Amino acid sequence: MTDLELRGVSRWYGNVVAVNDVTMTLGPGVTGLLGPNGAGKTTLLHMMAGFLAPSRGAVTIDGAPTWRNPAIYRKLGLVNEREAVYGFLTGKEFVRASAKLHGLPDADAATRRAIALVEMADAQDRRMDTYSKGMRQRMRVAAALVHDPAVLLLDEPFNGMDPRQRMHMMELLHGLGAQGRTVLFSSHILEEVEQVSGTVQVIVAGRLAASGDYRTIRRLMTHRPHVFAIRSSDDRRLAVALMASPSVAGVTLGKDGLTVHAGDYGTFTRALPRIALDQGVRVRQLIPSDESLESVFSYLVSA
Amino acid sequence: MSEQSVIHDIGYQRYTGVRLGRGYAARSLFEHGLRVAFGLGRSAKAKIFPWIVIGLVTLLAVIVVAIKAQSGEMVLTYQDYPTAVSTLAMVFLAVVAPELVSRDLRNQTLPLYFSRPVGRADYALAKLGALVAAVWLLLAGPQTLMFLGSAFTAADASGVGAEARGMLGGWVVSTAYALIFSSVSVLIASVASRRAFAAGAIVVVFMVSSGVAGLLIALGGDGPMAQLAPMLSPFLLPEGLRSWLYGTSFDVGAYGPLYGLVTLLLVAGCTSLLVLRYRKVSL
Amino acid sequence: MNMTIAWITARGLFGRRRFLLLLPMPIILIGITAVGLAANAPADELAEAVLYGLGVATILPLVSLIVGTGVLGSEIDDGTVVHILAKPIPRGRIILAKLAVAASVSAVATAVPMFVAAVMIDGVRLGLAFAAASVAGALAYSALFLALSVLTRRPVLVGLLYVVIWEGLLSNLVAGTRTVSVQHYVVRFATDLSGSAWFETTVSMAVAAVMTVVVTIAGTWLAARRLRSFSVAGETS
Repeated sequence: MTDLELRGVSRWYGNVVAVNDVTMTLGPGVTGLLGPNGAGKTTLLHMMAGFLAPSRGAVTIDGAPTWRNPAIYRKLGLVNEREAVYGFLTGKEFVRASAKLHGLPDADAATRRAIALVEMADAQDRRMDTYSKGMRQRMRVAAALVHDPAVLLLDEPFNGMDPRQRMHMMELLHGLGAQGRTVLFSSHILEEVEQVSGTVQVIVAGRLAASGDYRTIRRLMTHRPHVFAIRSSDDRRLAVALMASPSVAGVTLGKDGLTVHAGDYGTFTRALPRIALDQGVRVRQLIPSDESLESVFSYLVSA
Repeated sequence: MSEQSVIHDIGYQRYTGVRLGRGYAARSLFEHGLRVAFGLGRSAKAKIFPWIVIGLVTLLAVIVVAIKAQSGEMVLTYQDYPTAVSTLAMVFLAVVAPELVSRDLRNQTLPLYFSRPVGRADYALAKLGALVAAVWLLLAGPQTLMFLGSAFTAADASGVGAEARGMLGGWVVSTAYALIFSSVSVLIASVASRRAFAAGAIVVVFMVSSGVAGLLIALGGDGPMAQLAPMLSPFLLPEGLRSWLYGTSFDVGAYGPLYGLVTLLLVAGCTSLLVLRYRKVSL
Repeated sequence: MNMTIAWITARGLFGRRRFLLLLPMPIILIGITAVGLAANAPADELAEAVLYGLGVATILPLVSLIVGTGVLGSEIDDGTVVHILAKPIPRGRIILAKLAVAASVSAVATAVPMFVAAVMIDGVRLGLAFAAASVAGALAYSALFLALSVLTRRPVLVGLLYVVIWEGLLSNLVAGTRTVSVQHYVVRFATDLSGSAWFETTVSMAVAAVMTVVVTIAGTWLAARRLRSFSVAGETS
């Protein structure tokens, strides 16, 4: 169980602040680092991986700083965004070199395991400059996993992967997280984060905007109306009655049912059944429609 | 219910104005190349190196003028000037030629150029032209400065006339240097996509060929070998040409016209190879 | 010194196109010597022109430059250096591995043709002297250019300026600068080891030996130090 901790970390380049006073602790499991392009995700990842010094604050893994500390790489695996690899090496040679550089006693066995994990055994004897982008990505993940690290950092790992490869990578990350490793991956594609991790760290314009499970985050946003999609036996009648309730901020009548903007989640969810019952309307479907990560994210970004 | 699909007219207009055509595009490429060579229109860091070189060559000209003003003696004639700064010119080329062509190769922007009215040959010639012009300015600029300085200290109008003729002779020599140096450098740079590799290759070719030529000259003693060997070196070939035209450099015996021919063939050959190189460009 | 890194570096070096640039130079060196001998050139002039002018002053530094900047510079440029840095290896060992490969390749690529050419001119002692001097020179140059690879983003340019302007022009004009010019250390070694009176340099043996060691160690130390604080900037490249 390894903890990656950031305390008051900031990084600036002259007048431009890339990361602004971020404090977070990453524990076992998969965490998604979410943010729009230019939010500072890569800068943060590089600081966590010891490739950039924070201008202020400290980044530590189990108490040891990551900057200027090569020993940290025994516990850390990094898959960064740039796809560059040693094109002249075959996949197997590349992973094996990684194993040897980590000083593993049985480099061949570790290499076999790692390559099997990413399902690249078929192509392992071909030179890496003949690989497609997704294949190269997977080999890099294998090289980062070969020493069985407790912490794995991935910068936009699903970039350039086809749907099948992406699914496989997601399963892989999920499995690694379930084993108790601390896995952090960054992305700006919400579906990926939604599917792989429940925990997110949302970073916007260099600041940490929210952490935790995204559904819970949603509920914490009390000043935003909650949106529900309702289908009932008599939409219009229900709509009129709902407008009278103080917990409702707005109602829209559409072809497929009602869209209700509720100000207070708790009050509305208690009020709705009573109102429906009073009006004699049968509610067929009640779906919260803005609990997706996308809406949470858009609320956070526009805040 | 099916709806009619329609594209709405939101006032999008095609460009119907004047299109300036291939010549304009080629001229723009040339002008851009010249600006890149001297770091104009780029960040301060890109200006450091070219302007140091310009500073040094100008300094030499200023020193010559100052000495002339003091003692009346011209320690470095107009025609001697290019050979004095030839090493510096080579370093300038090793930096600028890759800047002009290798970057386009590395960033794979050639399809952007060639999918427009600019022809393949136009691109190659414009780049070559820009480099020739840059080197010529580097050599002829200080020569002009030397003329201006000398003209002010000249005794009379005929003195100014003599200086002017000297300067024109110097310009001719500078042109030879510019053509020879540039055509070889651009050709080498056009096959390398990394600037460092191209720079290294240019320096190696220039310096090793000079070394070999120098050796052969030493071996040749007074014979024909000593008169022919200089052709192998890009530093000495223009000097041979100068001897043929003005007789002011080393002895070329009867081989003067051969120098002219070799210069022509070298420049034409390198230019053709350059144009051929860009005929088939793959990513 | 890490063997795996040395192996990767060596493989990378031999796979690149820039390596081809190294091949013609030894051949030219030997070829020109043969031509000179066939033309009955006096041995001292031939030695001066070929061994010094072409060999020590041109081929040795340029080969060392191409190899020395190639072992680390290109990896830093395209980002693959992260694969080596994200490992629990002391940075000094990484630099030593790179230096070993660069120095060995440069040394072999220059010492062998220098040996052959010198033997052709005046026998085995001259050959051995120049070979040994080339090895020492290759080591010092490699350390220097390796340090440049880590210190600046355009190591080949700075290296070229050093070789062409500093060593080529200035050190031959201004006697004082020769104490900081690897070229002259090499000449001193060759002169003293061969007992030949053909070459002139104002740098003494003591200075040459000490400075070669200083340059090698300083270059290596500087490179390792800077590598420890190696940073990758924000978004791609």
